[in-house]
Amino acid sequence: MKSQYLLKFFLGVYIFIFLMYLFGPLIIMSLTSFNSAEFPAVTPWECFSWRWFQEGKIAYDGQHLAGLSTDWRLHDGLINSFIIGLGVVMLAVPIGMAASIVLTQVHSRLRTIFYSVSIMPVLFPGVIIGISTVVLWDRIATIGGEGFISDIGRNGIFLTILGQTCFISTYCFLIFVARLQRFDQTQEEAALDLGANQTQVFFKILIPYLMPAIASSAVIAFLASFENYNTTVFSILSDQTLTTVIASKVRLGISPAISALALVIITLTIIAAIVYEVLRRREDRKKKARQDQLLFEQTQDSRLKKVVTKSFKIPRSIFVTLFILIIGIIGFNQLVKNNLYGPGCVAAAEEVKRSKFFETLKLLQDIEVDEKALEGGELGGNKDYGDIFGDPNLFKDFGGFDTKDE
Amino acid sequence: MNSILQTKFFKKNGPLISTYFLIAIVFWLIFLIIIPQLYMLDLSFRPNLPPLLRGGSDDVHTLVHYKHFIFGSETSTDAYNAVDVGVFINTIVTAIFVTVINLCFCYPIAFYMAKVAKPNAARLLIVSLVIPFWINELLRSFALRILFAGEGVINNALLGSGLLDNAINFISLDIALYTGLTYAYILLMIFPLYNAIESLDINQLEASKDLGSSTIRTHWRIVIPHAKAGIASGCTMVFMLTAGALATPVVLSSPNTYWFTQLIYQWFNMNDNWSRGSAYSILLLTVSVVFVLLMMRLFKVKIGEIVR
Repeated sequence: MKSQYLLKFFLGVYIFIFLMYLFGPLIIMSLTSFNSAEFPAVTPWECFSWRWFQEGKIAYDGQHLAGLSTDWRLHDGLINSFIIGLGVVMLAVPIGMAASIVLTQVHSRLRTIFYSVSIMPVLFPGVIIGISTVVLWDRIATIGGEGFISDIGRNGIFLTILGQTCFISTYCFLIFVARLQRFDQTQEEAALDLGANQTQVFFKILIPYLMPAIASSAVIAFLASFENYNTTVFSILSDQTLTTVIASKVRLGISPAISALALVIITLTIIAAIVYEVLRRREDRKKKARQDQLLFEQTQDSRLKKVVTKSFKIPRSIFVTLFILIIGIIGFNQLVKNNLYGPGCVAAAEEVKRSKFFETLKLLQDIEVDEKALEGGELGGNKDYGDIFGDPNLFKDFGGFDTKDE
Repeated sequence: MNSILQTKFFKKNGPLISTYFLIAIVFWLIFLIIIPQLYMLDLSFRPNLPPLLRGGSDDVHTLVHYKHFIFGSETSTDAYNAVDVGVFINTIVTAIFVTVINLCFCYPIAFYMAKVAKPNAARLLIVSLVIPFWINELLRSFALRILFAGEGVINNALLGSGLLDNAINFISLDIALYTGLTYAYILLMIFPLYNAIESLDINQLEASKDLGSSTIRTHWRIVIPHAKAGIASGCTMVFMLTAGALATPVVLSSPNTYWFTQLIYQWFNMNDNWSRGSAYSILLLTVSVVFVLLMMRLFKVKIGEIVR
């Protein structure tokens, strides 16, 4: 018996570590967005500030680091992401629905083939879907000559919508298939017997039944499109979406503005999760109440009748919220008291860094460059790196066109 | 046969809806899935020509890009293209490694959620696990980058506590990359496992315990065979996504380590050699297909059980 408890204890510890592994990096990233230093870090903590959500800053060495609200590239990318997301929803949901309904009507071998081809895109690496879309449409644009076809064939947003639709349709397809498995086909037959035509059956029976699946697949399609990077980076061509903007920012150098953006996204996600959970619980409770009521009506057993007492109960989650709020206020007060918040603190930190920067600059200017050291010196001289830069073949195979050798 | 099928199909759905079904499915299966892949396959066998020469006498099928992958460029003297083949093998081996580690990490969690935890606790755990999953892969990698950077949180903590004298360069040692790849797709391992284990009848576990088998034996003989479809599904998804990952390597890989997708990206976007990029993509695709077939054979599951 004792070993059982020990096992449970270890399992608990393991789950705690696992959750830390999942959430720790995100929490630390969120914290760094409030640090006024231009490198995202928790230590050393400079000042508490909102600057990365607002205007950003000009660093001591003159480098401009944009904040969230002033970054026009981010805004452009966000708009493009929205357009693409909407386009994907408009295409992927109808496609997924059509494919799943047809799947219920075909049988045996054809069904297996159809199903396998439909789920294939999920098993393709996203990179490949992007590339194949671009390659094909470039060819179509070339053949189509000048004009409309050539325009849309080289339009990044259009190509991205097509590329993403390719695999997001599969997600929608799977959601619809799961819902259709529980569909009672006699409903359709009854409607037909009562004189409805097929189109009416589709709109009056099938669509209302599929409504929850349509809603959830639209949400999932939009989110999947919004956060896609692997396909988008190829198919977007010269345009930018939110993810490609983030990627180029991260590659150029890491700035706390990205942490700020991440915090915004995390907050939105958590709110959405809470809303979803609350709605689901309410739905569950309603369903249970209805079942109890039904049972009572069937049996007329007074013992089963539940007297609903209306009383105001304080939900437990309020305490958690209050607790977080109080901790937040105390922490904030502490920050103000220790002069870690506000323009004064930022200015002081800035001054320290500026003076340090100029000291280093002066030190560097004082060092005289020895011409001889440049000739063959350790790293940085002309003969370094095995003299590969003296090799005339170096740029021969630059990946240019393969024309026939003369 | 075909016409019978068509008339039946039209009769069942009515003319309007049938047309919509046909257009949607043909558009998707033919124009979005099959033709692009086939065209890319064709392009990978063609030389990289300037647009004007395409379709001319030089535009013949050739194996030059695949040869380049194995033997290197014509100007090099090495017997094999050590860089590209090395990156390729490294990518696959690392992806397999990441998959196995993910499986080992996730199995206890999935088992706990499915069989040990109370229903409400399990639901809460699921919702909280989904939250990091909806945050962009790039941003998750960025979070790890903050931790692992030269002056990052981990280094500062270790230096500050006196455990280390010099900062460890996690990024150039690729520790950051491997952690990031493991981190990125861990949830796609948990959920298939959870779904599979959840359908197991708890009486079987108790029967096995009553008959005197140890915990490990119970798992090995009862839980794992029952969950094999989930294991196959999770492993396939994680392997595919890891081998085809681009966002995580872009953020976390060291300057001298390449991921195979980055190689494709380079040929495609920086060197403008689309046919070579296509050839390398086909190689990646082949690996993926082989892996799926291997998984289906190994675990004796159908493709429908892998993707759900």
